[in-house]
Amino acid sequence: MKIERVDQKVWFKDGAEIWSYDLADLSAEGQRRKKSQSSTPDLILAQMPGKITKVFVKEGDSVVQGQPLLVMEAMKMEYTLKSDLNTTVEKVHVTLGQQMTVGASLIQLKKVEA
Amino acid sequence: MKIKKVAIANRGEVAVRIIKACEELGLQTVLLHSEADRQSRAFRMADQTICIGPSPTNESYLNIQANIQGAIAAGADAVHPGFGFLSENADFAAECEKSGLTFIGPSADSIRRLGDKISFKKMAMAAGLPLIPGYEGDDQSIERLLSEVEKIGLPVIVKAAAGGGGRGMKLIRQHSEAKELIESAQREALSAFGSEKVFLEKYLEKAKHIEFQIFGDSTGKIVHLFDRECSVQRRHQKIIEEATSPSLTDDLRRKMGEVAVTIASLANYKSAGTVEFLLQDGHFYLLEVNTRLQVEHPVTEEVLGVDLVKMQILTAMNQFVFDAKDIRIPKGHSIECRVYAENPYMNGIPSTGLLGSVHWPEGPRRRFEFGFEKGDTITSFYDPMIAKVIVWDESRPRAIEKMIRVLKDSTVFGVHTNIPYLIAILSHDEFIQGTMTTRFIEKYFSEGLKSNHNEDERKKKSIQAYKDYLKQQNPVANTGTTVNSPWMSFWRGV
Repeated sequence: MKIERVDQKVWFKDGAEIWSYDLADLSAEGQRRKKSQSSTPDLILAQMPGKITKVFVKEGDSVVQGQPLLVMEAMKMEYTLKSDLNTTVEKVHVTLGQQMTVGASLIQLKKVEA
Repeated sequence: MKIKKVAIANRGEVAVRIIKACEELGLQTVLLHSEADRQSRAFRMADQTICIGPSPTNESYLNIQANIQGAIAAGADAVHPGFGFLSENADFAAECEKSGLTFIGPSADSIRRLGDKISFKKMAMAAGLPLIPGYEGDDQSIERLLSEVEKIGLPVIVKAAAGGGGRGMKLIRQHSEAKELIESAQREALSAFGSEKVFLEKYLEKAKHIEFQIFGDSTGKIVHLFDRECSVQRRHQKIIEEATSPSLTDDLRRKMGEVAVTIASLANYKSAGTVEFLLQDGHFYLLEVNTRLQVEHPVTEEVLGVDLVKMQILTAMNQFVFDAKDIRIPKGHSIECRVYAENPYMNGIPSTGLLGSVHWPEGPRRRFEFGFEKGDTITSFYDPMIAKVIVWDESRPRAIEKMIRVLKDSTVFGVHTNIPYLIAILSHDEFIQGTMTTRFIEKYFSEGLKSNHNEDERKKKSIQAYKDYLKQQNPVANTGTTVNSPWMSFWRGV
């Protein structure tokens, strides 16, 4: 197995497979830490670094499942983020042209009871 | 035309490719780069480097005057534009010539006539060459575009008029999404090419993407250098290319090659170019002409034993001439895989960051074209392609087998890559049969890959491996034991 620390991550290669963990996840503390909170469908997060190139909704708008909420651009490609819920927009955290980092909150939708 | 120093108006692996060709021809090189690309292989290889602007492409790589001033300041007498960026910009070619710089590529006039897809279509239509039904009118109002979509009939594809390489292209499958997709294509077109003009075209559902390499030598003679197949595309971005196509009969190959040479001849084409076709049910349609070197040019080089970049440079020096007796016949099979910095297990989202170890497994007829090495940073300013892996073997099945082996043995640490995705594609029945169409990815790989590893087991293994790694990094501090290595005592005694 090949292993190497690069910045704050540790990379592994075993056979053809390559994967990485955050350094913190491999420490004793990281192992105890509860599994990273899975994303909830009412909070739209940036899955990549990029620029907001279009926002289709404003606070109070009702949205349906599959409806586009905003468009991000990174590496010259556009990614449209869509709603997974039938609900209303609670809060828009972004403005047009804003540069986002990974994990940043973009849009909060109103929670829907399961 | 005498050329002593070539300015490279590009970045990444293609800049490296051009530098190597120049070195072999005994020419000096100057790399015209942005602020973000000081840490790159091309920067380290070029004889001279000039920073022409900040990281955003429109302030550096797309800035015509910055490139020309950089080339002149460095004392270059020619410019190679590579692909992407300004490579298909007729104004850039014209400005170069006006400034006394030889543009290594076709004339500004050829680029204009073939590169603008609307004028290209008019020319092809007049010559009776086969085209796909569509709309390329000047009325670009959303109302008109929507009504043309209705007329052509779904599915319809929207493309940037000045585009190429998949930028600003969208596929409309339902009328309800037509407006959003057209507007999105216009925005991408504007940001990538500076013009939001788009055109519409009927989308062929089960077509293959076949293209012909063309070349015009310094005497004006135009030939084709056979075909490539690039049906494996995602969002109209090519992923795997091969030469020659497994889908062409001799008869089709001859007919399509003739059409390719005809359209190039109509524009008095000089240097390397590519004529793209769609092939469905034995009928072929002209798609577009790319008036530049193509990303996938190496597969043609591998099956023919030519060097297209050197041919381009020699042509610009009025030196390269095809020998009429020299009939080249493609030999064996070559495949290229584009390595993208993206996470295949998260539906291909871009992956950026500092590169750790990068290892490409050398071997006979394996070729690695890469622009970044350990210590370089992959940023989100540019295209996610970080390398190309090219193999050649005696037959297509062997080339596929070889490519899978090579990819499995390759290592890229620091950013995620699409290598597992490439392996999955190469192992798919339809790819192996050679029957894949341009919808291949959409049909089988639209969701990216599902990881099927056991997360708990992997994590346990990783934690142990990391502990061992830390021990190796610093054995004395971690173990507290005395080291009795003869080397250690030897050095201590020095």
